[in-house]
Amino acid sequence: MKFYFPDSQDLISPTYDFLHDEYAPHRVRQRDDRYAHEVLETPPYHGILVSKAIVDGGVSGAGKYSSSQRARFYRMGVRRFFRLPDHIATLGDNGAFNYVGEEVPPVTVDGTLDFYDECGFDAGVSVDHVIFGYDANATLTQADPAWIRRREITLDLAYEFMKRVSERGSHVEPVGAAQGWSPTSYADSVKRLQEMGYTRIALGGMVPLKTRDVLQCLYEINEIRSPATELHLLGLTRVDAMETFAQLGVTSIDSTSPFRQAFMDERKNYHTADRAFAAIRVPQVDGNVTLRRAILAGDVSQRDAIEAERETLRALRSFDGSPRSQKTALDALAQYERVNRSKKSYLDAYEETLTAAPWLSCPCRLCRTHGIEMVIFRGTERNKRRGFHNLTVLANKISKLATPEALEQYV
Amino acid sequence: MSNTEFFSLPAVRVRQGSQYIYAFGVDGKQIPRFAAVSRVHRKDQQLAGYQRPEVQSHIRAIRRYLETDGAILPNAIVIAFDDRVRFEPVDQPQNGVDYSTIGRLLIPVDDSLPDDEKPAWIVDGQQRSAAIRDAEIEAFPVAAVGFIAKDEAEQRSQFILVNNTKPLPKGLIHELLPSTSVKLPTTYARRRLPASVLNLLNFGAGGGRGPFTGCISTPTMASGYIRDNSVLKMIENSLYEGALYQYRHADDGTGDIPSILLHLNHFWGAVQRVFPEAWSLPPTKSRLTHGAGIQALGYVMDSLTEGVPAADLSDLAIEETLRNLRDECAWMDGSWHFADDQVRRWNNIQNTPNDVRLLTSHLLNLVRHASPVR
Ligand SMILES: [Zn+2]
Repeated sequence: MKFYFPDSQDLISPTYDFLHDEYAPHRVRQRDDRYAHEVLETPPYHGILVSKAIVDGGVSGAGKYSSSQRARFYRMGVRRFFRLPDHIATLGDNGAFNYVGEEVPPVTVDGTLDFYDECGFDAGVSVDHVIFGYDANATLTQADPAWIRRREITLDLAYEFMKRVSERGSHVEPVGAAQGWSPTSYADSVKRLQEMGYTRIALGGMVPLKTRDVLQCLYEINEIRSPATELHLLGLTRVDAMETFAQLGVTSIDSTSPFRQAFMDERKNYHTADRAFAAIRVPQVDGNVTLRRAILAGDVSQRDAIEAERETLRALRSFDGSPRSQKTALDALAQYERVNRSKKSYLDAYEETLTAAPWLSCPCRLCRTHGIEMVIFRGTERNKRRGFHNLTVLANKISKLATPEALEQYV
Repeated sequence: MSNTEFFSLPAVRVRQGSQYIYAFGVDGKQIPRFAAVSRVHRKDQQLAGYQRPEVQSHIRAIRRYLETDGAILPNAIVIAFDDRVRFEPVDQPQNGVDYSTIGRLLIPVDDSLPDDEKPAWIVDGQQRSAAIRDAEIEAFPVAAVGFIAKDEAEQRSQFILVNNTKPLPKGLIHELLPSTSVKLPTTYARRRLPASVLNLLNFGAGGGRGPFTGCISTPTMASGYIRDNSVLKMIENSLYEGALYQYRHADDGTGDIPSILLHLNHFWGAVQRVFPEAWSLPPTKSRLTHGAGIQALGYVMDSLTEGVPAADLSDLAIEETLRNLRDECAWMDGSWHFADDQVRRWNNIQNTPNDVRLLTSHLLNLVRHASPVR
């Protein structure tokens, strides 16, 4: 199983000063910053997925790239822009979520292929249109007319995409996009894509589905799948089901979720092989909007808040695993929550995190370098490093999966 | 008033019209004991206080500077006192300088007083005083200037007056930057390298002349006709996103200046030779020396020379490439044909992001078709 990481310009600055919470004044975004594959001993992914909508911007606004970064992306190509080692693969797609509200995709097959060709992608997904909805009982013809229309559009565009790839003599490996709303409709999409000549097919729109439904679809697809066809699951990581996925022809997946959980999830922020821990929230008095407002209004004393913030960081940094240092840290955290007027207390979760102290035994380079800073929920530099660590954990899980060949003997 | 002690600080009283100001030195670590910092907030619909909250990033920058050896803060902190503060002269006015009197300033200090009952307010220097308070240093005496204000309204108007001084013109700052040595605020620190490059282009490095020598208009080079900001933007763009990045040292933000100059002079020398007249005229007569032209061609430079070291630039036949697109350029007269339905008079190109983008992609397109086969 190959894991792709979707690019969203997620980098860390190697010169960031954690003690003073400052960037080096001369730092240049992206160029001086580092991707996960540059800071960890082993890249935590086999490939990266880059959406045209993120680079170019789309209907719903600007992309993640500044105009000069975008120009440089086209000039240098995906490999040099991301400073990728040879063994990391590149996959392009349209970023169909960006235009999910449109009647028809506002992008052309040629425009998309231009993007893949000019930037030198290894592989590219045909233009698709996401179907938002799942109904296992709807048939191919008796379903929401919008779903039926979107699936037909996706298949038509895939046909045109394959045709243009061969007419242009493109070096990009074509990946057919399959959309559907049920096992039957997904299977039918895969069947038709195979007829068009696709041997690699990306299944879209499955992110909201329950694992059980995903498996249903994969079983149904498996009935018609030719042995040569490889499947990619767009936006999905279900580690528990991964071995079954592999048996059913899935050779690659992509997902940002382990990365984003580092700073988006309520509690599952720092992952380990068998569970996830809450990161310890020490918001910056300066950076926190609510707190800043409360200070401006005179409700919270800025001095008290700054003092509590410093005290908390000091206590965490001198944490040595002893019960005494743990108590000091938890007391400081409790005090900061009070000053902060936090609506919710995380103290019980923090106690678990400190008791297990999982960063101490993590062999990844980031945990070894930054220690307890890795579990402090504060500012993008710590949070993204924790996200990178989570990717490493996922990569290890994936690499430990049995290969499909090895599994076959049990089937 | 049981806890009151008095700071007795040597001071000079200076008469200004009918009022007095007091210049004195005081350990910055002691200031919070008698002076409060008010902040803008609403109290029962009434605006109370008159200052912004502390800006931590700013304070941190000053604080780290203070912790270095040889730090000085020459600017005085401005303090408004109420009438609990007294001045005692120890000396009679000297002949001829009757406006200055030497004496002692007596400031009551009571650590039990809440902030809003302290006898002094910091009118200017809030961030500096917070930085001294926070810095890991024993003491830091600073120069201060105080006055005795009637009420808060007077304090507030002083605050606005003191904080309303006009900042130095940007161009002058850019000229001063290369010869600074202290830790600078981020925006200036980032500009130091581009500004140094610009100065060397303009004033000639080691006596050598380049296409920009004497052409860039700055506060001290009044005869220049290319706006300093146009060139600065082009250099910055290329240093951070383009061809010049290869000469930049990511660890400390400095750069290999000789190579940067070589690179720029090579490309813009070719521009000057291909468009000699357009290069010699001011932006009103030529769009080449205009912000739009300089920036657009800067992108062309990045596109043609990215990743190529200065020593190998001559292999690229840049001059030949530029010569091939001479007929399509309308720097001084005629029109640009961006597309069939998009024709623009030469002087209808403005220095706006849109026009720069339009011109850039047009030129890049032409270059793509005009480049001699390498
Ligand atoms: Zn780790």
